[in-house]
Amino acid sequence: MSSSATARTKGRPGGGVRTGRPHAAWVLPGVLFFTFFAVAPMVLALYLSFTKWNGLGDPQPVGLANWQKLIHDPRLTQSLTVTVLLTVVSWAFQTVLSLLLGVWAAGRQRNRAVLSAIFFVPFLLSSTAISLLFYALLDPNFGIIHGDTLGTTSGAFLAIVFVGGWQFIPFHTLIYQGGARQIPEVLYQAAAIDGAGRYRQFFSITLPQLRNTATTSSVLMIVGSLTYFETVLILTQGGPGTDTAILPYLMYESGFKSYDLGYASAIASFLVVAATALSLVLVKLSGFGNMRSTREGM
Amino acid sequence: MSHDTLRRPRPVKTTGRPSAARTAGRRRHWTRRPNPLAGIGSVLWLAVVIVPIYAMISSSLTHQDKALGKNALVPPTDPTFDNYNTVLHNGFGHLLLNTVIVAAAVVAIVLVLCIPLSYVAVRSRTFWSGAAFRLFLLGVAIPAQAVVVPLYLMIAKLNLYDSLLAVILPTAAFAMPVSVLILTGTLRDISEEMYEAMALDGASTTRMLFQLVIPMTKGGISTVVIYSSLQAWNGFLFPLIFTQSDGPRVLTLGLFNYVSQFGVNIPALLASVVLSGIPIFAVYLVARRALVGGLMGVGGK
Amino acid sequence: MESYSRRWFLGAGATTLISAAGLTACGSGSGSGGSGGTITAMVYGDDAVKIQTAQVNRFNASAAAKKAKGKIKLQKIPASDYPAKLRTAMGSPNAPDVFFNWGGGSIKAYQEANQLIDLTDTIQSDAVLKAGFLPNVLAAGSLKGKMYGIPMRGTQPVILFYNKTLFAEHKLQAPTTWDQLLDINAKLKKAKITPFALGGADIWPELMWLEYLVDRIGGPQVFDKIKNGDSSGWGDPAVLKAAETVKQLIDDGAFGKGYSSVSYNNHGASAAFAKGKAAMHLMGSWEFSTLLGIFPDFAKKDVGWCAFPKYEGGSGDIRNVVGNPNNYWSVNARVSNKDAAIAFLRDCASEAYTKDLIANGDVPTTTIAAGMLDSSPNPEFAKYQYQMVQQAPAFTLSWDQAVDPSWQTPMLTEINKLFVGKSTPTQFVAALKGLK
Repeated sequence: MSSSATARTKGRPGGGVRTGRPHAAWVLPGVLFFTFFAVAPMVLALYLSFTKWNGLGDPQPVGLANWQKLIHDPRLTQSLTVTVLLTVVSWAFQTVLSLLLGVWAAGRQRNRAVLSAIFFVPFLLSSTAISLLFYALLDPNFGIIHGDTLGTTSGAFLAIVFVGGWQFIPFHTLIYQGGARQIPEVLYQAAAIDGAGRYRQFFSITLPQLRNTATTSSVLMIVGSLTYFETVLILTQGGPGTDTAILPYLMYESGFKSYDLGYASAIASFLVVAATALSLVLVKLSGFGNMRSTREGM
Repeated sequence: MSHDTLRRPRPVKTTGRPSAARTAGRRRHWTRRPNPLAGIGSVLWLAVVIVPIYAMISSSLTHQDKALGKNALVPPTDPTFDNYNTVLHNGFGHLLLNTVIVAAAVVAIVLVLCIPLSYVAVRSRTFWSGAAFRLFLLGVAIPAQAVVVPLYLMIAKLNLYDSLLAVILPTAAFAMPVSVLILTGTLRDISEEMYEAMALDGASTTRMLFQLVIPMTKGGISTVVIYSSLQAWNGFLFPLIFTQSDGPRVLTLGLFNYVSQFGVNIPALLASVVLSGIPIFAVYLVARRALVGGLMGVGGK
Repeated sequence: MESYSRRWFLGAGATTLISAAGLTACGSGSGSGGSGGTITAMVYGDDAVKIQTAQVNRFNASAAAKKAKGKIKLQKIPASDYPAKLRTAMGSPNAPDVFFNWGGGSIKAYQEANQLIDLTDTIQSDAVLKAGFLPNVLAAGSLKGKMYGIPMRGTQPVILFYNKTLFAEHKLQAPTTWDQLLDINAKLKKAKITPFALGGADIWPELMWLEYLVDRIGGPQVFDKIKNGDSSGWGDPAVLKAAETVKQLIDDGAFGKGYSSVSYNNHGASAAFAKGKAAMHLMGSWEFSTLLGIFPDFAKKDVGWCAFPKYEGGSGDIRNVVGNPNNYWSVNARVSNKDAAIAFLRDCASEAYTKDLIANGDVPTTTIAAGMLDSSPNPEFAKYQYQMVQQAPAFTLSWDQAVDPSWQTPMLTEINKLFVGKSTPTQFVAALKGLK
């Protein structure tokens, strides 16, 4: 992508300093800070996963015990399934609605602008506040739905999906709105001349043109669905039973309810590995690594 | 390939506006026709957004003893602000202040560390700057939950447990990857010629940072400010594990604690939720354009 | 230019650090070893914490506090989060000097990490502490024969509540034996009344049935063995017998049909009991104040109470009690002002503190409380509880509090599986024996 730029610089030895190439040492404060508070803890988590530690005193090495327990823990399989399912269902739910709302909001009519401003309001509340709001509204003795929503597996699962969507759809709508407004108007004019109706225009122009926007939005959604921890903690506590115990919650429960911090670290390390693999795939797919030059080619 | 013209930000941005204005007239021909499906859909979604908010506000104005068994959709017969009083007298201001301090500190740390870092990542061609950039790229998907246990150990050993710093430092660290991505994204748009022009004037790299890079990446910087302050504002897990006493308690944790404090006093709980949303709502009213514009930046320009 | 900007950066960094250090200082000023011998006391921050707030204020102004040159700073931790917060705090340099706990398994890890002061000698040599509390409640807070806690709130025995009016209508008497209970069960079912309310969604109400049955069938020593971490203790025939008895009750329809989605926490089970849909409710003594709060007429007129019945052929005494004997204050081994801590603990036996607890509807387990219960909002019920606890040969701590925290969740899960029919009594025992 930037090969021409690189080639040019190489052709001018020493030009780096003159044309504002800062010294690489400038990255040091940021890298050190990030390494200390984010990378080092990951390494430490891996170390702790080979120890037994209840939070008091010092961790005691126990070899592979935690990992053996992890492999044989039926809760891990269940938790992985729930985590993946939650991610996929949330992604589908949020993408469809954000896409439709975003394209709709991209229109410049006054009523659309007013409604869009209202649609944005849920995003102003924190996840904690939103989870508490629905915790109250789903209370069988109090709320608007007088049923045992959170007491059933599917009810609890769908509640988490809905609450996540309620909070984040406004944000993704915004992303799609921005994307839709960048679609060149000429494309629609050309299609209109060819006699394409509104719905054919949507499928043959809008959707393909929003490909990159969709990738960006999806990456943020998938990464973000790991943060449904608060919602699970407040709404369902992983219940009924352990049916909505997503990986981060399982880790929290092992670490801070059963005080098996060594085992919790094994789950955490697993989570890091899974998340890193996921981010590698996503970076590859989304072209984030190429510095988003993809859209400029259009 | 007219690479550099495409990369130049100014022309791209400025052509954006006039063209939109120009086409607005022509666009009318296809938006003028009503779209019934979209109309119905938007009204339905409006209900989904409004009903919970309405139920929340109406319940927060209901007397506690009348709330149990009452349908939350029925407006209260004699509204009361008692619940708000209860919450405000339970240290709400202190929680808010702590949250503002945390957000400000996180934003400051992220900006101070990420701007030079992104500058180097974009401008320097050394192996190390590339490695640093890839480090942050990988960090994007690392969930904060994965490191709470070791971070707890570190924070206890550093003697930071139960302080605002215990919340600020890791929150800032975990806001860095996305911030670096956003900043490098905008930094790429500064053209080579601009650096060259400044270099001809004999400007040092530091001066370029302050007189070219920072002014030219204002959009990216404001996006980072919004993104990282939202991370701090929403942060829950770090305060949950790393603080315990009233002193350094932040808003999200305070809300969570109201559940056990108010027990079944759901109206007071909802009043606290409403109150927690008011500060950001105020920002939204005053600076909607900037906030929305900044957030669009998180998703790419 | 270069140096100027570098200084700017350093300056900015330093400012951040300095202001940040300020934040730490004001945030963690409550750590142990604070100024002037002030010590921290960490307490469960529910509604009842107002009694401890008053106690601390009174103590800080007292002569005893001046003599010990110390004051108490109360740190209220939200209830839902208390055990986890206590653990993280105890593992940090900000550990509290004195802290609230449930005795038993809730302090085992701290005892093993040498973080507790053994109070046995202090209690033996101090007249106020030694004679101040009911001995069996004091003993219930001990671990391996050593005392680590001083009772500090009200006792909460589990009691069989029944609807007096319904019982009179159907000519029934409160059961004293298991056979009588089964007989009542049969008669109520015939009258289309659910015999027992049960908040099965919360699981811990189900636990109470097993706690009492194991005690009545095999005596308190069965669980004593389990509580000390010996999972082979679950293999005691009394556990299997208790599980089978529970299974029979369930199959017999003693809890009705939808009990597993009824919750105690949101008052579902209490409502079923108060509205006459269910005739009995096995629950902690707090049930009475819950009922007084939501169904005052029912609580005042219709509620009767009795001990869990005797099981024929079982070795447990009908006077044995399960539940929460009390909550305790324990003292951190790293306490900065031990004199102040002990002086504060002695206040828990005082008349003023006992009076406050009684006025709040609690039943304190201090010896002087016996003569003061007339001032309780519900003197009759308060006296019943006090005598029940006073005369109990054994007071078994609720299993979920007594076992090691790592057993708690799996144990409750197994109990839930037994109650919803997902496992048989034999599978139940086998699963619990496998706990490590």
